[in-house]
Amino acid sequence: MNTIIDINLKELAIGAFLLVIPIVFFYIYRIKLVKDVLINVIRMVVQLGLVALYLEFIFELNNAWINSIWVLVMIVVGVLTAINRIGLKTKYFVLPFFIAGLTSILIIDTFCLGFILKLDYVFDARYFIPITGMILGNALNHNIVGLNTYFRAHTEKRELYRFLLSNTGNQQLAVRPFIEEAAKTALNPMIANMSVVGLVTLPGMMTGQILGGSQPAVAIKYQIMIMIAIFVGCTINIFLSIIFTNKIIFNEYGNMKDGLVKENGLRLKKPSKHRLKH
Amino acid sequence: MLSETPYIGDMIQCKDICLAFNEKSIFTNFNAKIKAGENVCIGGASGKGKSSLLNLFQGYVIPQSGSISVAGKNLSPTTIKEIREQIMYVPQNIHLPVKNGSALADLMGIQKKLPKIKQALTQLGLTEDFLEKDFMKISGGQKQRIVIAVCLGLDKNILLMDEPTASLDDDSINLLIKTIGNLKDKTIVSASHNQQWAESCDRIIEL
Repeated sequence: MNTIIDINLKELAIGAFLLVIPIVFFYIYRIKLVKDVLINVIRMVVQLGLVALYLEFIFELNNAWINSIWVLVMIVVGVLTAINRIGLKTKYFVLPFFIAGLTSILIIDTFCLGFILKLDYVFDARYFIPITGMILGNALNHNIVGLNTYFRAHTEKRELYRFLLSNTGNQQLAVRPFIEEAAKTALNPMIANMSVVGLVTLPGMMTGQILGGSQPAVAIKYQIMIMIAIFVGCTINIFLSIIFTNKIIFNEYGNMKDGLVKENGLRLKKPSKHRLKH
Repeated sequence: MLSETPYIGDMIQCKDICLAFNEKSIFTNFNAKIKAGENVCIGGASGKGKSSLLNLFQGYVIPQSGSISVAGKNLSPTTIKEIREQIMYVPQNIHLPVKNGSALADLMGIQKKLPKIKQALTQLGLTEDFLEKDFMKISGGQKQRIVIAVCLGLDKNILLMDEPTASLDDDSINLLIKTIGNLKDKTIVSASHNQQWAESCDRIIEL
C-alpha cells in the first residue's frame, strides 16, 4: 500500500490520447466542441503544471503567512469567478461574498484542522491548502447555482416579494421563500450525492488518497470528514452571502435596487443535475 | 391594534404625481384623494397605470415628482414600514411557493388569525377545508378567493386589490362584491376593468 506508482510525462501524454474518443464523437455528430475541449485541456495542463510548481514551493516553505495569503487569493479568485458567472456587478458584491467565503473557511478549517485532525500547526500547507481548496471549490460551484437562483427569483417573482412585504410588513418574511429556493437549488444535489456516495460514485479525493498509498479505511474517514465539511462550508457560504447581500441590494423602500446585475447577467439556467466534485 | 383606531380623513392622497417608465409618461401631475372607508375602483385601459398606482401607494414605485400620503403619513423611507403595516394587498394571479392556504397563512406568519381567515373564506363561498386543499388541484378562482381570505385575515385598514375579479366567475364576483361591501371600516382600492365590479364600488377613478 505504500508504493506510489509515479506517472512520467511520456505516460501522461499517452493518457491524453484518450481524448481522441470524445473528439471523434464530436466530429461524427458535428458537435462544435472540439476547439473548446482542446483549448481547455491545454489550459488545465498549464494551470495544474503551475500549481505543481508553486505547491512544491509553498509546501517547502510551509509558512503560515504565505499559506494564509494563498488561501485569501483563492477566496478572492473564487468570489470574482462567482460574481462573473452569475452576471453581477463586482463593486457591489465582492465584499459580502468575500466575507461570507472567509467566514465559512475560518469555521470549517478551525474545526477540521484544529479539533478533528488536531494539527500542531494548523497552517500546515499539506492539510490547510488542499482542504481549504476543496471546500472553496465546491462552495464556489454551489454558491453560483444558489445565488443565481436567488437573484433570478427576485427578478422573476417580484410580485411575490411585494405581496409578502406589503401583507407582512416584514422583509425577513418576504425574502424567506427566495432564500429557501436558493438554498434548496444549491444544496439538494449535494444532499442527494451523500446518499449514493460509495454505491454509485467513488469520490475523487478518496480514490486519490488510496492511489497515493493510504489505507482505504483512512481514506474513507477523510472522505466522510471532507464531505461534511464541504456541505457545512457551502451552507454557511450561501446563507452568509445572501444575508450580507440583502444588506446592500435593497433600497430604503425595501425594493431591489436597479443596476446590480450586468446587462447580460443571470443567464445561468437551473442545472438539471449538479454533482459534487471531490 | 391598527384596526381599532381607524384614520379619519383622506386615507390616501396623491399630489401632483409625475411618473414615467423608460421616458414613457404614465402620470403627469396626477391628483387623487381617497377617503377613509371609501371603496374606490381605478379604471382605465391596459397600460394606463392602474397597477402602477397601487404600487405607488405601497412604495414599490417612486414618482419622479409629487407626493403621496397614506393614513396621514407622507410616503418616505422613514414612513414606509408604518404605511405597509396598514395595507393588505391582493395581487393578480400570483404564483405562490406554498401548497395551500394554510401554508400561505403560515408563510405570512398569521396562523393565529385562522378564525378570521376561515370566516372570510365562508363569506367568499368556500368551505373551511379549502384552506388545506392543494392549489394545484383547485381552480384559479378558488385559489384567488383563498388568497383574498388570507389577506382579509390580516385585518388591516387598507385593502388594495389588483384585478380581483380576473379569475372569478359571475357568482364568485357577486360573493366578493358582497364580502368587500361589508368591510365598512376599511378603505378599499381596486384596479379593475370589470364593469360589474366597478359599479359596485363607491367611486371610480378613471385613468
